[in-house]
Amino acid sequence: MTQQARLLMAATAAFILSLVAQAAAQDADWAKVIEAAKKEGKVVLYTSTQGVEFHNQALRSFQAKYGIATELLDVRASELDQRIQTEQTSGRYVGDVLQHGEASALRHEQNGVFQPYISLPNFQNLQQIFKEKSSKVRVPIYVSAYGLLINSELVKGEDEPKSWRDLLNPKWKGKIMADDFRALGGGSVWFDVMFGALGREFHEKLAQQNIVFSRDVGNDQRRVARGEYPMRLPQHYSNFPQLEGLPVKLVQPVEGASYVQFDTGVLKNAPHPNAARLFIDHYIGETVQVIYANNALVPVAMGISEKADPRWRSITGAKLLGTSAPERLDAMLAAAKEIYK
Amino acid sequence: MLGLGLILAFLAIYPLAMLLYGSLHSTPPGMAGEFNLDGYRRMATAENGLVLFNTVVMALINTVVSLALAIFLAWIIARTDTPGRGVLEMLLTLPFFLPPVLTAMAWGMLGNPQVGGINSVWRWLTGTNTTIINVYSYFGVVWHMMQYATTFLFLFIVDAFRAMDPSLEESSRMSGASLFQTFRRVTLMLMLPVITSAFTLSLIRGIESFESPLFFGTPVGIRVVTTQVYDAINQSARPDYQYATALALAVMGLMFLLVLMQWRILGGRNFTTVTGKGYRPTVTKLGPWRWATFAFCILFFFITVAMPVGQLFVGSFFKFFGFYSWNMLTLDNYAKVLRNDEFRRGFQNTLLLGVIGASATMVLGGLTAYVTTRTQLKGRRIIEAMAWTPWMMPGIVLGIGFLWGFALLPGPIQIYGTIWALLLAYMTLYTPISVRVMSGAYSQLGYDLEECSRVHGGSWWQTFWRILVALAWPSFAVGWVLVFFGILRELSASILLFSAGSEVLSVVVLKLWTNGRAEEVCVIGLFMMALVILFRWAQSRFIQRHINTL
Repeated sequence: MTQQARLLMAATAAFILSLVAQAAAQDADWAKVIEAAKKEGKVVLYTSTQGVEFHNQALRSFQAKYGIATELLDVRASELDQRIQTEQTSGRYVGDVLQHGEASALRHEQNGVFQPYISLPNFQNLQQIFKEKSSKVRVPIYVSAYGLLINSELVKGEDEPKSWRDLLNPKWKGKIMADDFRALGGGSVWFDVMFGALGREFHEKLAQQNIVFSRDVGNDQRRVARGEYPMRLPQHYSNFPQLEGLPVKLVQPVEGASYVQFDTGVLKNAPHPNAARLFIDHYIGETVQVIYANNALVPVAMGISEKADPRWRSITGAKLLGTSAPERLDAMLAAAKEIYK
Repeated sequence: MLGLGLILAFLAIYPLAMLLYGSLHSTPPGMAGEFNLDGYRRMATAENGLVLFNTVVMALINTVVSLALAIFLAWIIARTDTPGRGVLEMLLTLPFFLPPVLTAMAWGMLGNPQVGGINSVWRWLTGTNTTIINVYSYFGVVWHMMQYATTFLFLFIVDAFRAMDPSLEESSRMSGASLFQTFRRVTLMLMLPVITSAFTLSLIRGIESFESPLFFGTPVGIRVVTTQVYDAINQSARPDYQYATALALAVMGLMFLLVLMQWRILGGRNFTTVTGKGYRPTVTKLGPWRWATFAFCILFFFITVAMPVGQLFVGSFFKFFGFYSWNMLTLDNYAKVLRNDEFRRGFQNTLLLGVIGASATMVLGGLTAYVTTRTQLKGRRIIEAMAWTPWMMPGIVLGIGFLWGFALLPGPIQIYGTIWALLLAYMTLYTPISVRVMSGAYSQLGYDLEECSRVHGGSWWQTFWRILVALAWPSFAVGWVLVFFGILRELSASILLFSAGSEVLSVVVLKLWTNGRAEEVCVIGLFMMALVILFRWAQSRFIQRHINTL
């Protein structure tokens, strides 16, 4: 063996040893986080997705694994923002972890509402795109996609829209129900994405179809099932499993689905900061990611779709067309108000 | 009185001061910003003028029609010999106690133009393709508002009708006046304080109505003040608190004018109907017409209770509300509700808050009403105005005032994030009702009873307890039930003030509703209705026993 080869071997061994040592140190550090989290004994989750069952499933899995109590505060986005703002300005800190739509989470990040999560062992398992979309204080946890809901008794066979452009067919005039594009929510995200993908002209033509707006999402799905309207958009993929057994079908038009990414982060001055870090790591780990996939959400970690319920695989692997950008929100809401008077 | 003033100032003025600050500052309290009038400037538009006009007209139609119906029903129940009045009274009031989302859902199914039950029956009967009812319209908004307004007004005035000395009506009849003349000139005139109070309360509530325009108006472009406020807070890229609070405060100013008008109408008149003279509570004999009044009550019950509640009852036994086939029959919805930890926790918290909150609010309202109606103390008008103010602020805005107010209290005062925040908010929200109910009751009591007691050596406390409390007890009990069930239904403030572990029933219902679990909401609605029947029964037993012992 030459001198050079010996040197190369020694360097390689040193490098491997340093990696092992680093990993061991990280493991030891993380073990300390777990220990500290258990001492804190509790974690309080604030989220803007209200009343969904997957929260309870995910919380139970965390409690079962670590024996740490969890408390959930699930309210509507505006009410959550109001609380966060009030707690942070008054110094009465109650929440530990915040889960929110990407646009709102970004705004909170800019306002300094989060503190760094430092490191998370499961972060390395995230899909590359979601690693890139994360920051030092914010991590994506799942994606909620939207399609088109149709009444399968009123819209049959070749009438079924294949493309979003098929909604412009005159036969659907006055028959399309939609979540209001002029208000913040699924409707405004869909408006923004279609504005980018199909242009303003598409919306101007769609406005001629006399869209019926309603914001009572849970009930509106049922109104389509009852035959009040033959179709509704945009339809949360994750709401669709609850409609199994009703005469409705979820259509995924060829262009793809609009979506909202949900992010999470540790709140500044969280009363239980270690439990909060452990909690977020658990949420991007396999157990919770599979729970999300089984609830028709798109997971952010790698290798989850194949472990999910086969019924929802087409949804968890759905073609994603785009989402709304926070910097465009005001302009898009104004455009929607102008087009859909 | 100073103590009472301080309590009312903390409960009513402090959160309003927070909102005033919010309307004049570019950012919410505690955040860096600047004082300006931008909120008021942006609010003063022709569009908002039209929205305000729409709001007031709908509230006025709702109140006038509902009041006429409520007076007629109260007269039937309290002053006539219509058969089955006891049971009818309980049945007629049921819609008031149901969460509005439930009745909206039921009426949405009954009255939608495409496949609604009423239109389907109509088309089947006539063989035509026409539509006779569309709840997604101005009519639908007012109709849904009336479900609550009529029963609220009925509950508010029925005991005043009952407490009236019949000798006044008998004198009128003996002097040759007809039944209608007596009703118009004697009965109605004597009821003026209660009726104007009820009118004002109902008109203001109508202007602040939120659920009815949201469910039935928004889909067809009908906008009202509260939906404008809601949009500014919940539907914008960034919540516009300055604009929302400015709009709400401006409308509150207008509503205050209404209250001043009411005070002016009532000023200086005497409405005493319960005096030291003994009277025998008798009722008007209607003869065969009693069956007509009975039929009217049954018709009212069928339309406003049986039709929508029947939908909820049937819906609670099916897998999907509105899809009635044998293979979908299930008891699963009941099992899910009973297994739901959040429901159990919410129910316990709500019951606790309801009992403590209703009792405390009625005591506070009783004391306030005593000061404003039975004393000549200086500053009593200020006390009355303070007690009124929360009623004039839409709940969605007042909730923000509480949130800011409780969070920004000095450090050691820990109300934010506790169940006490909810209790204080409920007391604030329902003190106006308790004051109105008790003021109406006190205004009908003659001073001779108190004077008689004092002349015979009764202390102030004995007189207060044995005369005023004893005679106003039925009104206190009615007010207690109104406040208790108001707390059960309250959502706007609860959603901002509850914390993990202190969930209340209305929040649990909202969560289930937004997630399309309508069947479980039906179960909870029916459960609440059973609670109403139980409470109303207990209330009547309680009143009977205590009136006798007092």
